[in-house]
Amino acid sequence: MSNKEVYIDPINTTFARVMEICTWIGLIVMLVFGVLYLFELNSYVSMSSVVSHWGLPASKFWEETKGVHINGYLFLHHLNTMDCLSLIGISLLALAPFFSLIGTLFRAKGIYFILILILLCEYIFAIIRPLIMAGGGE
Amino acid sequence: MLNWSGKLKSKWEIYKTLKEVVMRCTKQLGKLIGLASIIFLFYVALAHAGGEAAVKTTTSSHWWLWPIILFLFTFIIGIIAPMSGVGGGVLFVPLATAFFPFNVDFIRGTGLIMALTSALSSAPQFIKKGVANVKIMVPVVVVSIITSIVGGIVGLWITSAFPSGKYYITIALGLVLFLIFIVMITSKRVEYPEVESMDGLSQKLGLSSSWYEPTLEKIIEYKITRLPIGILCFAGVGFIAGMFGLGAGWANVPVLNLLMGAPIKVAVSTSMAIITVNDAAAAWIYLAKGAILPLIVVPSVIGITIGARIGAWLAVKTKPKFIKYLVLAIMLFAALLDIFKGLHGLGVV
Repeated sequence: MSNKEVYIDPINTTFARVMEICTWIGLIVMLVFGVLYLFELNSYVSMSSVVSHWGLPASKFWEETKGVHINGYLFLHHLNTMDCLSLIGISLLALAPFFSLIGTLFRAKGIYFILILILLCEYIFAIIRPLIMAGGGE
Repeated sequence: MLNWSGKLKSKWEIYKTLKEVVMRCTKQLGKLIGLASIIFLFYVALAHAGGEAAVKTTTSSHWWLWPIILFLFTFIIGIIAPMSGVGGGVLFVPLATAFFPFNVDFIRGTGLIMALTSALSSAPQFIKKGVANVKIMVPVVVVSIITSIVGGIVGLWITSAFPSGKYYITIALGLVLFLIFIVMITSKRVEYPEVESMDGLSQKLGLSSSWYEPTLEKIIEYKITRLPIGILCFAGVGFIAGMFGLGAGWANVPVLNLLMGAPIKVAVSTSMAIITVNDAAAAWIYLAKGAILPLIVVPSVIGITIGARIGAWLAVKTKPKFIKYLVLAIMLFAALLDIFKGLHGLGVV
């Protein structure tokens, strides 16, 4: 008896395949640009500045290092720097389950279609919430 | 020159002898790594006890030391975590909070990405084989994704809204660690729990499935029960995971296994699938608040990934009990230290 004889729901296989692809892309982007950043190639926040201020809360850190009140995806505005590109990789990792759920939606039937649709809406809310509401309650 | 033919009569005996030598070396390696971990953690503790002034003088001028320290630190955590049965994030967050100079915001952000990366790397394999069940994951995460996001918002709000917020979070983290410690020493795993009847909701959602278990060479069938109570538990776990940047496998697995009746393999792998969704949603809160720094995240992810591979390999070969006791001791120590650090920051002690 082998694994092939066990019925595996198409929801499972689609979810896993999409997740695998997104994870690989995200990891490669995060690590390649992250390592280049560690080699001091073009950075948005210099490493010595990060080390000097990383004891501060995140909001204070950005005020002190870049003079900005962070509330949103600041890294998207500085995509010519290695640290921000590394954060794009992390964003892709954070998007992996979202894309997996989109892939699964077309395979789901009945109540699962509705539940996955609700999940996707919640996910979209998580992503756009910082852009439409004051993040972190400030 | 030794006359091997006299002592070892066949190739099979040579193979057996070599295998024994390798096994012994592996056992010794496990002990050595455990010892190295103690020494390294002790060293970090001493460095911290030596005063923050020392840290400040090395920080900006010798920034390059930090990625190396973080890599080594997470590499060791990655090795000992699989041997003790806990996730790397559960060790990283409290230890880094206790010993490292980073703000707790960045530590939680890093812990979350570490847990997310680990879960994303392993979950698809289990899902494809049918061991992790997306159909169990979906109704659970519909609720826990919300609490996970709320946890992330509350955690970052506390540190930015209150002047002493960092210390409140540190104390709360210490208390959560106590909870994890108690769960770890009290909960027992049931390989194949017997579920007599499914609850109405589980029945409607068709939460019964099967997978091929190669060690038994047969198909294992299982069914889920007590889903509504399970969803409530996951709501609480999601909040803690989002707030402290923990992977939360320590809580997911007992809920799925002992409460909902999932076999242990299904519980562990479905827990990873749940972590991918919960932590990915919470990660957006941390990204938007600038609480994820590549300088901390990148070496930590590399370290824990390589360490976990070695740890998983060693865990199959040898599972020294002292590693589990060591991890429990570290957790207890980190819990006490976090509470002390928080109370000290508030001026209570």
